[in-house]
Amino acid sequence: MSEQQNQQQTATAEQPGYAFKIEGRPDYSFLTVTIPANETLKVEASAMATMDTHINMKTKMKGGLGRWVTGESLFINEFTAEGGPGEIGIAPGPPGDLSHVYLHNEVIFLQNSAYVASTLGVEIETKWQGLKKGFFSGENLFLIRCSGDGDLWFNTYGAIIEIEVNGDYVVDTGHIVAFTEGLDYEVTMLGGYKSLFFSGEGVVCRFNGKGKVWIQTRLVDAMVSWVYPFRRVQKKNTTTSS
Amino acid sequence: MNIEIMHRPGNAAAKVTLEPSEQLTAEAGAMIAMSGDIGITTTTHKKESGGILKAVKRMLAGESMFLNHFNASSQRGEIWLATTLPGDMMEHTLDNETLIVQGGSYVASEPDIEIDLGWQGFKSVFSGESIFWVRLVGTGKIIINSFGAIYPIEVDGEYIVDTGHIVAFNDTLDFTITKAGSSWINSFLSGEGLVCKFQGRGTVWCQSHKSSSFGQTLTSTLKPRSA
Amino acid sequence: MKTEIKGAPTFAYLEVELAPGERIIAESDAMSSMAADMEVTAKLNGGFFRGLLRKLLGGETLFINQFKNESDGNRKLTLVQPWPGDMRQIRLEGNSFYLQPGAFLACSEGVTLGLKWAGLVSFIAREGLFKLAVKGTGDVWYGGYGAILEREIDGEYIVDTSHLIAYEPSIQLKLQLAGGFFSSLFGGEGLVTRVVGKGKIMIQSRSIPGLTGWLNPKLWG
Repeated sequence: MSEQQNQQQTATAEQPGYAFKIEGRPDYSFLTVTIPANETLKVEASAMATMDTHINMKTKMKGGLGRWVTGESLFINEFTAEGGPGEIGIAPGPPGDLSHVYLHNEVIFLQNSAYVASTLGVEIETKWQGLKKGFFSGENLFLIRCSGDGDLWFNTYGAIIEIEVNGDYVVDTGHIVAFTEGLDYEVTMLGGYKSLFFSGEGVVCRFNGKGKVWIQTRLVDAMVSWVYPFRRVQKKNTTTSS
Repeated sequence: MNIEIMHRPGNAAAKVTLEPSEQLTAEAGAMIAMSGDIGITTTTHKKESGGILKAVKRMLAGESMFLNHFNASSQRGEIWLATTLPGDMMEHTLDNETLIVQGGSYVASEPDIEIDLGWQGFKSVFSGESIFWVRLVGTGKIIINSFGAIYPIEVDGEYIVDTGHIVAFNDTLDFTITKAGSSWINSFLSGEGLVCKFQGRGTVWCQSHKSSSFGQTLTSTLKPRSA
Repeated sequence: MKTEIKGAPTFAYLEVELAPGERIIAESDAMSSMAADMEVTAKLNGGFFRGLLRKLLGGETLFINQFKNESDGNRKLTLVQPWPGDMRQIRLEGNSFYLQPGAFLACSEGVTLGLKWAGLVSFIAREGLFKLAVKGTGDVWYGGYGAILEREIDGEYIVDTSHLIAYEPSIQLKLQLAGGFFSSLFGGEGLVTRVVGKGKIMIQSRSIPGLTGWLNPKLWG
């Protein structure tokens, strides 16, 4: 049953990247990438679940202060297949799907915690999106700008919905995962003042232009509130053990 | 109105297509994306009826006090609805009848459905479910959600459902809180504790998983909160 | 006995239909719905001492439940694990199979749950000193958090400890650092398991520490 939803890809003219497969789609997607001999794959810290024994792991500090400020992991691990091709299995933290894009000298913006893996040809930078956008648009003040040539994998909390935008489209804050460079968005109000405070939808992101937006069906904030009663209570100076 | 539920059962989202000038009523916060020209008004009640009392009651049931009414413009429009936790969604059509829904599981309905509160009595305190339940009355389409996959059980006589697994049931059914095993000591040792016993004739929609059980497995590795 | 795994892989649950007189054994608190006249008995598996060992050292529950149909018609029940995810069935014909703590859901009569010394390595990885060995003749159902993926091992392979849920007895586990000292400390991978041998391992595509590791930086208060 789950087998039918697997995505398997080998290198072709349009997709010159690494061979990979995605299993467990769409709710618990698991990525397996074959790294060619002596090549390197960048992977977000803690996401490695399985690998061949001849793959070597190195931890690199990436993104500098930006990623540190945003609470994102400071480290990206680099996995190199020493001497021969090797396989690595990658499991993102949240339940959800994985998407793959091959960038041909293109730019895509990612929500801060959506990054999973990329090949060395993809440049990764953190971008300040401005206070109003950053504060209201969802998880973080920063976006990740991915550019260049190569494979890029990103993940969502929940399922992925791809929307082709041509003109005007409204997405609720916190549900944006990624969007292409031709688009811009504004943080706007929906409805009147009553809607702003009581509708639960008051502030939204309004996209304009032509391009693609990837949205996730679940909201991190909702999960954060839901786990609250399940957290242990920390007493002053001492931590209660589980 | 056309309702299409995608990504079932794990990360369900409902795509509702409204014909020109059609309306949809939804739980506040359920909209995740929509066409740019759909209008939205927020009220504490069903349009042109009810009032603040019903809103307060709905809040007690774990729902939002506020409902959003989405209006399509002179063009066809679409709205995407999702729920807070991972889980399933179900479309169901009521035909001049009453459905009792677990607090927190109501997502959206057509304008003719009355949304009210159902008091299931003090036994609900022990059921591990919300004390208050939402009563959906009338004729039209509704959308409800769950933690886990939704499966129906046709009851004719008696059937037991563990607390925390009930999503909705026909009001032709009644339930009592009872023990799972043949004796109290057995029920206690079995870890099953108290269960709901349904009686009568009708359908119970169950959720495959219980969110509190999942939450408890996270406790040991979650960051503690300050007192 | 008729069984079917439904809701897989996201929210797998086991639907069981018992003919008169038939039984099934399940993990404590696994029942989510059942016929009202089903007979439920809490049992110590393999006697008190082994049950106690299972609880204290294997991270499992002390009691397991027996569901018996004592009526004269077919009766149904549904069983589920605490976390969302996939489920698998394995048929034992006198052989055995190893499960990591928490993976066991249910078994038919004829299967015994035993403990095997897992070694200090397993203890350091916070997986307990003992592992659960199921053996005998019959069916076993087990589950994981996330999708369950099967990997055929011939030689050596590295698996993050929190992703391993079950394996054949021909597989040995060894604990090691994920990378160098620096990488293991800051790369978030820490200790990993090197699986050695020839046989099948089952891994889960998500892990509870992975989920909470993603959530913890976002938590306030």
